Amino acid sequence: MTEPLFDLAVAAAAFVAGVVGALIGLGGGVIITPLLVLVFGIDIRYAMGAALASVIATSSGAAAAYLRDGISNMRIGLFLCMATTVGAVCGAMLAVVLDQKMLSVIFGVALLVTVLLSLRKQKDLSGAAALSDPLAVKLRLPGVRPTPEGPKAYAVHGVIPGFLIMIVAGILSGLLGIGSGAFKVVAMDQVMRIPFKVTTATSNFMIGVTAAASVGIYLKRGYLDPALVAPVALGVLAGAFVGAKLLPVAPVKVLRLIFLTAVSIIAVQMIARGMGFQIG
Amino acid sequence: MNDQQIQNTLARVMLGGTLLAATIIAAGLIWFLATHSGDAPGDHIFNKEPKYFENPISMVQRAFEIHEVGHRRSLIMIGVVLLLINPAVRVGFAVLGFAMQKDRLYTAVSLFVLAVLVFSFFW
Repeated sequence: MTEPLFDLAVAAAAFVAGVVGALIGLGGGVIITPLLVLVFGIDIRYAMGAALASVIATSSGAAAAYLRDGISNMRIGLFLCMATTVGAVCGAMLAVVLDQKMLSVIFGVALLVTVLLSLRKQKDLSGAAALSDPLAVKLRLPGVRPTPEGPKAYAVHGVIPGFLIMIVAGILSGLLGIGSGAFKVVAMDQVMRIPFKVTTATSNFMIGVTAAASVGIYLKRGYLDPALVAPVALGVLAGAFVGAKLLPVAPVKVLRLIFLTAVSIIAVQMIARGMGFQIG
Repeated sequence: MNDQQIQNTLARVMLGGTLLAATIIAAGLIWFLATHSGDAPGDHIFNKEPKYFENPISMVQRAFEIHEVGHRRSLIMIGVVLLLINPAVRVGFAVLGFAMQKDRLYTAVSLFVLAVLVFSFFW
């Protein structure tokens, strides 16, 4: 295959990943990297670099829309970004010293955990503003969100455990070149008990900032190959845009099930590949 | 400026920046492909990128040396770097916004995040 054909194939695959990602709410990274590694035979480090760049692209596009709606909570976002960015820098430094096989295994495991987190039935645990943790109040984290019945105040809990989980989410992001959105969302709506919509919008803002903290290190270490980043980022960006438009009409539940099954198979393959044998 | 006005301005800057970056990347890619149409793709083996990618300034210089090898790749990289700067700009705006509201705690919080981003870029 020559370079233009190869790039076209990569861009098409990235487009599909972008559409699916937007429909089922998983970012580009967890789909793109295994796709590039398993289907296109690309070195996992280049794949991670390209995926992380496209994560930033889609996060910026989506976060712009959310900001205008006034749903995302900048205070919560920035406060938790202190944890995720420091984690991401550590993760990226770790990625530089680990070898390809080890990265494949860790990636596979993180994928499996992501699937498990997405399969769980999540309860909206948010409550009235008066019930916030004292620390959350001191940090002025509780906010107000727009609802059909007018602005409504919400409470924030579990600041310290939430912050600690965010450090882990940051490390994973830097280590594997993923947005680790699934981890961020769980920390925010299950541990800190922030309302769903606020969580989604705020985590979108955070994903881009977190990814930016490790991508600078990827850049210096030569993980970003322009000839690969270009088709991947453009494909994912276009795909995410189309996916967002399709959201109201797509059979999201069925897609989710098919997709999560596929991701589980991919996860096992990544682990197998890292351990030195190939399945299917 | 109140919170919502800050967020609206920010939304416009982010969307504009993303679109500009995507345009530059697309232009660079088309140009790159036009001149490399016969080559085999080279991403299977990890091979560190050339030195000039390690520093944003030398990368920009390289992109303007039209006849140099690596020019087209550098053009794509400028688009990529623009993409990557987007979140940092986001945080920079937050610093300004909180400073204007005289919110010391969150000016400090967003400055910390900005410092980590800058550190990661130049470390």
